[in-house]
Amino acid sequence: MPSLRLDGRRLDCHDGDTIASAAFRAGVRTFSRSIKAHRRRGLYCGTGDCANCLVTVDGLPGERACVMPARDGMRVERETGWPSVDRDALAINDRLHRFMPVGFYYKVFARPRWLWPIAERVIRRATGTGTLPAVVAARHTRTRFVRVHTLVIGGGVAGLAAAATAAHDRSVVLATEAALGAEVTDPAARDTIARLAAEARAAGAELLEGHTAIGIYEGPSAALLGPDELVEVEAERVIVATGAIEAHGVFPGNDLPGVWLGRGAARMAAIHNVPIGTRAVVVANTGDGAELADALRTAGTDVTLVAGRVLEARGGRQVDSITVLTPEGRRAFACDALVLSLGWAPRDTLLRMTAEPEVVGAGDVVRPGCTLAEAEASGRAAATGTADEPREADPWPITEHDGYVCVCEDVSMHDLERAWDEGWTSSEILKRYTTATMGPCQGALCSRHLAEHARAKGAAPAARGRTTARPPVRGPRLGDLIGGVHEQVERRTALHERHVAAGARMDHSGVWLRPGTYGDVADEIRAARQRVSVMDVSTLGTFLVAGRDARTLLDHVFPIDVGAIAAGRARYLLALDEAGYVMDDGLLAALADGSYFLTSTSGGADRMEAWLRNWIDRLDLHVHLVNQTAQLGAINVAGPHARDLLATLSDDDLSREALPYPGHADITVAGVPCRAIAAGFVGELSFELHHPRGRSVELWDALLAAGAAWDIRPHGLDALDVLRLEKGHVYLAQDTMPDDHPAKLGLGWAVASTKKEFIGKRALERMDALPLERRLVGLRFDGPPQRGHPLALDGAIVGRITSCAVSEAANGPVGLGWLRAVGGEFPSVLRAGEVTATVSPTPFYDPDGERLRG
Amino acid sequence: MSMLVPCPTCGRRPFTEFTFGGELRDVASADAASDFARVYLHDNAAGPQQERWFHLLGCRRWVTVTRDTGTNRVEA
Amino acid sequence: MADVHDRPVGAIVCAASPEALDRLVAPGHGARMLRVAPDETMAVVAPAFTDDVRRELEDRIAALDADALVLDVSDGWLGLALTGPDADHALSYLSALEPPVADGYVQGDVARVAAKVMREPDGLLLLVPAYWSEHVRARAIEDAGAKARRP
Repeated sequence: MPSLRLDGRRLDCHDGDTIASAAFRAGVRTFSRSIKAHRRRGLYCGTGDCANCLVTVDGLPGERACVMPARDGMRVERETGWPSVDRDALAINDRLHRFMPVGFYYKVFARPRWLWPIAERVIRRATGTGTLPAVVAARHTRTRFVRVHTLVIGGGVAGLAAAATAAHDRSVVLATEAALGAEVTDPAARDTIARLAAEARAAGAELLEGHTAIGIYEGPSAALLGPDELVEVEAERVIVATGAIEAHGVFPGNDLPGVWLGRGAARMAAIHNVPIGTRAVVVANTGDGAELADALRTAGTDVTLVAGRVLEARGGRQVDSITVLTPEGRRAFACDALVLSLGWAPRDTLLRMTAEPEVVGAGDVVRPGCTLAEAEASGRAAATGTADEPREADPWPITEHDGYVCVCEDVSMHDLERAWDEGWTSSEILKRYTTATMGPCQGALCSRHLAEHARAKGAAPAARGRTTARPPVRGPRLGDLIGGVHEQVERRTALHERHVAAGARMDHSGVWLRPGTYGDVADEIRAARQRVSVMDVSTLGTFLVAGRDARTLLDHVFPIDVGAIAAGRARYLLALDEAGYVMDDGLLAALADGSYFLTSTSGGADRMEAWLRNWIDRLDLHVHLVNQTAQLGAINVAGPHARDLLATLSDDDLSREALPYPGHADITVAGVPCRAIAAGFVGELSFELHHPRGRSVELWDALLAAGAAWDIRPHGLDALDVLRLEKGHVYLAQDTMPDDHPAKLGLGWAVASTKKEFIGKRALERMDALPLERRLVGLRFDGPPQRGHPLALDGAIVGRITSCAVSEAANGPVGLGWLRAVGGEFPSVLRAGEVTATVSPTPFYDPDGERLRG
Repeated sequence: MSMLVPCPTCGRRPFTEFTFGGELRDVASADAASDFARVYLHDNAAGPQQERWFHLLGCRRWVTVTRDTGTNRVEA
Repeated sequence: MADVHDRPVGAIVCAASPEALDRLVAPGHGARMLRVAPDETMAVVAPAFTDDVRRELEDRIAALDADALVLDVSDGWLGLALTGPDADHALSYLSALEPPVADGYVQGDVARVAAKVMREPDGLLLLVPAYWSEHVRARAIEDAGAKARRP
């Protein structure tokens, strides 16, 4: 006989058992302890709607025992109570309840202030459900995308009727949480479901069993969580046919084990053949009473059927007697099970997530308590677009003045009354103050009661609404939600394998994967400063800008005089936005045929393309813009021997006459055609070789081989950071802020202020007229600095270090940082912790730029 | 999950394929004073708004659409 | 699911006025023309014919638009083939795009990057910017490939 273990105790599993039915058959009556008062809680809804039976299964918490199928070998643990659910020391809370009125923790532990952190920790330990597993769950879901005309959620009569009707001429997907018909006890309903399912399948509907719709989103669209896939569905129309459960009854003793909602009790008896008790009373005001009583009797329980209002349930560990107000008057019954069918509560959580007209309901969820024929008609009508409007719900079953309203959060009617008296007089505020509807069931049972309470108190319509439902309907595992996302989406250059083989530490630099260092950063820096070094800069954004309006576009967009760039020359430029702030920087090279080659920073390529295309569109210009970032590789050859190295691999003229600084030329290196740009970022003689990506490896290998004569090293991002810092060059987004205009960065020289018109010009004119409040400055330190450290003047923070390094070439620690003006002046000496920082002019190294002009 | 943006080349696509370019505004200002308003002061309409979207994952061109900021529906 | 393997392509961009591109007759050698945008079309062809197709395009477009630009961008694209009868279903694990109809193509989000999907006789061909090669290849093999688990 298959079996599972519940808190170590072995329980038999019969065919078709859920964890709850196996446990109940074995005599388990308490499934959890309530969150605050630690009251015993037993099976109540039996349909997966409440939170009484949440258990940890094989290490994973939050599983609903009443719907989860039992499997041989399962390890199940109940989650609350200490040391155990059956013997819970904190049950004392129930007796102390009168000292713990609603919201007491906001008031009692507020003073003295030191008490709250302690109290909070204790309260946390004493409440809550389940423990997060210490193991990392293996991810087992993929994401699948589906586009369909009609999505039906719910596999009952209404849902299947909707799917069958819609599928005749549209694409249809139907999602149902369990297997079709698994939860239905009534034989007539079973037959109807079988018939409709066959019709739906024959018409071509895709029926997804075991898929829970966890949310409805804009579109409309929905997320369906299956056993090992997450299905993202885009639909023209969504039909929600999730049914209804019996209304939650509120009266003293309503949370005792042994009090059931009708369907759950019927399932236990009729599907699992487990008697819910010896003597049961069914209190039914809906039409289902007789059917429920019959279902319970099949398992051998003695059943009394009455209609009326439950005044009280009494008992210790479970219910043993009740009082009901029937049409004939008050009647008391001795019983060990009370089954409620007092009214209907549509399972409308999904419908309450959206106001889109394309999302409609069908069946019990809009007509609770309808017959099978009505449900089928409702489903068919929804599919043809003649959907039901949700009816005004039945007048809510009268609730007594005590009893638990929110069972998940231990909020009683008494608590609601008290909170209202304290002034929390709307359903939304009441929710937040008392935490009613904020538990695991998210108000599935009690949100109507909350709204009804507000209405009964005379609240205005705006203050008595149903609280909003938000996805997810069930708590999915994070691993389920990220099914389609594996790790960072990353770009790689063609030289990736070469870097890895050379032992590089690969870093995520924005969306790119780039070498941080090949092992010895100082060694790399020395190679670049004293001999020759190469760096993979294929990540740079590169663009061809051609067409008869190319120059007009570039002149309008960038703050430089584009016409003054002669063919063969290049110019450093800033990209400014309309507010005059620096968005990006790059180089603009004028090509012989009148077109232009533009580079941007590695992270800015997409933004640059979008920016330029926007102006091509708005200004209606004839420009051909080709984003060449993917197509071109680029290698920067830098160092005093850079030209010497290239001369061994190229017959082309590399002198300053042929290749001026700043400028460019088309050359061939090791047989690879390159656009060589004379660059200056690292402050040494440099040639940035842009070439076809397919030949990157060939070019890199040739440069390293020939460079051995000068003991060449490749350098990575760490070395680059120091090299550029020694020249005082800014790293965008590291040294700059989104509202830095050129003057703040000391880059006013890069703006052709006499130019008539360019994007951001008016903003710059406006800002230039104002005193500068913040500046980026160069800094020298008398000790090791820390990036990000604040800069202080007389104890007050007036700035921050944005970049820093200990530099050989600059003879000491240097950095960049921003400073605020103090009393209209910028301070020149500051403190960064133990270190003194002095404002210094940049560049720190080769201030006249002789090295890079080579 | 999807607010759909209609791209004339690629069809109606989830907004996640696009980057947002803000309210449609004039391309230039007559003078410095009106420039401040043009760049910084947005209408922030509660209702239909003309706005710019760039189809980054598709055709990589801009589109101007009218979206109702209240219902978040984009006109076809 | 589908078999996933590299299928190198030649790709030539032709940027010109929309009117000129509307009238442009496709070059030979089995080149497929993808009208990426009103002012841009891209010819996709077997690598051996790249140069021929580029020259043909240069000739044809020059007659329609003197300002046109034709550029070989083959290095910028990875071709990844999903082959087999389940190629369309396999794509649904990578993208919400509807697979293209016969001889057509779509462009949009595939495995979260900008890609084009073309229908081929033996399945689908993904065109992906070259720097996303490893990412898309890995996702395709894991989520859509023959070794991927069936739901």
